[in-house]
Amino acid sequence: MAEVMDGTKKRGETEPPNWILQHPVMKELEVGDSTQLHAAFLVFMDLTEVRQWTKVTYAESPELQLVLLEAKEKDGGPVQTVLPLPVHRSLSHRSIRHLLDRGFPLLLCAVASDSTLVYQRMTDGLVTPEPPVGLFHDAGRRQKQRRRKQ
Amino acid sequence: MEDQNQESSDPVVALSLCDSTPLLWRAQDLRTVRSQSVVGALLGSLPRAPRQNLKLGRPLLLLPEEERLLRERHAAAFPPRNQDVERAEFQQQYEEEQQRSFEEQSVFALEDRKSALQRAMTSSQSALQRRLLDLDQNFTFPRSALAIQLSTTRAGLNYCPEARAFLQLDWPIRDQGNAQFDTRYLVFRDLWGRGFFLTSAGKFGGDFLVYPGDPLRFHAHFIAICLSLDEPVSLLDILAAARLGCNVKKTVLLCSPAPNGPVHYTSVQWSGMV
Repeated sequence: MAEVMDGTKKRGETEPPNWILQHPVMKELEVGDSTQLHAAFLVFMDLTEVRQWTKVTYAESPELQLVLLEAKEKDGGPVQTVLPLPVHRSLSHRSIRHLLDRGFPLLLCAVASDSTLVYQRMTDGLVTPEPPVGLFHDAGRRQKQRRRKQ
Repeated sequence: MEDQNQESSDPVVALSLCDSTPLLWRAQDLRTVRSQSVVGALLGSLPRAPRQNLKLGRPLLLLPEEERLLRERHAAAFPPRNQDVERAEFQQQYEEEQQRSFEEQSVFALEDRKSALQRAMTSSQSALQRRLLDLDQNFTFPRSALAIQLSTTRAGLNYCPEARAFLQLDWPIRDQGNAQFDTRYLVFRDLWGRGFFLTSAGKFGGDFLVYPGDPLRFHAHFIAICLSLDEPVSLLDILAAARLGCNVKKTVLLCSPAPNGPVHYTSVQWSGMV
């Protein structure tokens, strides 16, 4: 997919996939390479159309040269930072801390090449996990009980 | 929790080195370090339950971070290495024990022999009676028949000097600084200082498992992965770790020590958004 760069157009627009980058909002973004922008677009669509989050907007991180999203899950809820990233990329802990410093809850969204999305929550500090739900079943004991009944 | 930051008033624990591996042998030493929130891993086989891996005995293997922490707090030290004196003492002790054992066993052997002869005598067989009388004067207990008892409760590794020299070949390498080790150690020390118990997390693909209390009483809450702040981590690795953490109900903790002191922790959990 060759990108034809000429003076009149911001990005190559001969092949269909680039129609995404033609969107007026996307056109204004100055950071982020095309794969990251594409990932951002897919997450944008997922949050707005599929999950119906509100106030979904693009944002930029000049330090990390990445496109971000800011969104609220519901009206009245907190603004969250969403980092859309193609799955083959890497990230440093420093970049994650940088995004956490923005002050909003952070969601990392990994975008696979087949457009599968997975969201991971990243929080500062030590977050205790949820305890296991339900009664604790000792598998061995259950087997023994079954044997005794027979 | 108060004495985490002060030097411990417990007795100093004796570290044994096998090659570059730090081990603890004495039961009281294991109790001491456990009371200081250091868990270690038991390596030894229990004599009465040898062929299984669930319940192990001494020695206790220390993580490199655990050993460094204990040494820095002066809670553990290497015993003085005057080999020749030790060896001579042990040798003398052994020989004395053997001699005592020999004398005791000679007495018993004589008694046994006499009662055997008496049982064999049905009537006053003069030949046997004469043998019985001779026995007291002429009985010798042969050295080759001596049953040797070796005490296995003696702590420490008493290698012969040649083996010991071989095992110490790698000693200088232990003290070399290693950036990765320092990162892990700073994280270990910080989490330990907050009152957590830490063990190695090989089964979970992390650096440490972090328990809110003694591992015998609690499940681990966190899988700690130590990184330097600028080290690039593949997103696939973060996803794999987060997924595993979710499946085993633990939070994945990305830990990085900052150059100016504090350690930064980021908890990674699945968002719950299917």
